[in-house]
Amino acid sequence: MKRWLNSILMTAAVALGATALPAKPLELLPSHAGYQPKDALEKGLWLEMDQVEQQVRASKFLIEDPELNAYVKSVLCRAVGTEKCGSARVYLIRTPQFNAAMAPNGMMLVWSGLLLRARNEAELATVLAHEFAHFEMQHSLQSFRDIKAKSDAMTWAGFVPGGLLAQIGLMGSMFRFNREMEKRADMAALQYLSDAGYNPMAASQIWEQFRGEMEAQAKAGKAGALAEEANDFFSSHPTTQDRMNYLRAAARQKTPNTDTGAARYQAAIAPWWPRLIDDQIRLNDFAATHYLLSGLARGQWSAELLYARAELHRARGKVDDIAAAERDYRAAASASPELAESWRGLGLLLLRQGQEVEGRRMLRRYLEKAPDATDRALIASMAGGARP
Amino acid sequence: MPLKAEWTALVSNEQLPVAGKSMKVQPMAGWNRSSAKPSSRSERWTRDGLALNELTFFADVRDGEALYFKPLMAEKDLPKFRSAMLPTEIVELFENSNRMILASSVFTIGKVEPASLGNHPGVRFSYEYAAPDEGLSRKGEGVAAVVDGRLYLVNFVAPAIHYFDRDISEIRQMISTLQLRPPKRTGGR
Repeated sequence: MKRWLNSILMTAAVALGATALPAKPLELLPSHAGYQPKDALEKGLWLEMDQVEQQVRASKFLIEDPELNAYVKSVLCRAVGTEKCGSARVYLIRTPQFNAAMAPNGMMLVWSGLLLRARNEAELATVLAHEFAHFEMQHSLQSFRDIKAKSDAMTWAGFVPGGLLAQIGLMGSMFRFNREMEKRADMAALQYLSDAGYNPMAASQIWEQFRGEMEAQAKAGKAGALAEEANDFFSSHPTTQDRMNYLRAAARQKTPNTDTGAARYQAAIAPWWPRLIDDQIRLNDFAATHYLLSGLARGQWSAELLYARAELHRARGKVDDIAAAERDYRAAASASPELAESWRGLGLLLLRQGQEVEGRRMLRRYLEKAPDATDRALIASMAGGARP
Repeated sequence: MPLKAEWTALVSNEQLPVAGKSMKVQPMAGWNRSSAKPSSRSERWTRDGLALNELTFFADVRDGEALYFKPLMAEKDLPKFRSAMLPTEIVELFENSNRMILASSVFTIGKVEPASLGNHPGVRFSYEYAAPDEGLSRKGEGVAAVVDGRLYLVNFVAPAIHYFDRDISEIRQMISTLQLRPPKRTGGR
């Protein structure tokens, strides 16, 4: 699926080529209340985006949890200000890759892979503000005008096979921004971050983390080339090294501030975290996920992170992985005995290694901790004696 | 899968070999077999079309084999079956394989319980998912057993609205007629 999306992206990239910045200054910004599309082309674009938005609203991939939605919206509002953030409608999409986009009609899409990767509120705010800045500066509209100048293709949303996610991917490629636009969005986001009282260094830190994950992925993959080009989001952006450098330099000029909102962020994400990391682990992408977990831990391994790393090792199942998984399950269980899944993982791992007595004991502990587990009947039969 | 699948109506009054030689099942009236297979060790049936009911049989899946042919677009290899897998790991193999071929993270395993398949002890699991190119949820139920180190699995999928509940009892009855005669293996696992 992702590769397929990328092929669309590449085709679109070729079609697009370089885009030019507008010569004249903009008057009323789209972030202003009551902004309306100005000409037929912009109206048409809004219409198409409204159609995509209808599909997003009906999508099974939409995360509807009102609390999580309210939290992400509140981060955007703190970043760009409550007056402007009313122009954005935020939708959370359940898909583990990193991506975010904002359409010219005010629809902002945030993939759950971003929520998994951000380590604090300031990092999330960085990406939301970056997309918002593109929207505010009408970069997508400019890209679209550029495409229209070169092509007669009037509609595209209706012709995309592969459903909503493919459409969103294509939308990302239609709104492919040149490096100047990206840099302007980066700088605007940094200003928002700083004005909102966040630690301005967060802006470079989130890109640093992504860069590392992609490098880990590329190193483990067959191709020697960095996978940066293969990522929906990064394919259009300045090289991450450049971006890290100029963001870091610019952040030093801002008012120093240590507030990253890490505790608030973790509390807000906590109910979803097990699902977000589970989605990632099931991608069967050991190297990237391993790097991601280390980046999230930054040396401080919580029970949840240890459990996630144990699951990752167990899923790969090479000789060294079994010992590593056992170590992590035990550490997770000892750090937080109430985390039922650690006992389950440990019990199953031991059973698989032929350590039946201890394995069954651990499974019984899981059942004590999670009496309503959906796999209770099976685990109980495995814990009780012979394998079912 | 080939682009064009051919369908064969199944005779409903006798046990038919399915997905090879070691699995037999007696179809109910109206079921059809597809010439297109999800893997070399499987076979797919439907009654009203795959969009409405899809029944897939896997038989004799060996250590190191994946459940499905690898999709052209998949970036990662599909997970592989291992003879020593626990019932929990079979369910995980099924979930992870399907998440990858569907490119979907909207996939939730429901109830998991002990069951039997062709008189061999195994596991039954229910699940619900959505595919990115569809606007609906589907429900499914699988029954699996590992016999002499080989995996046998039957999986039923239908739209969550109406169709799954309409057909699931008939499916369970059909699966209860299933017989396994795995080839005798010499030597241990």
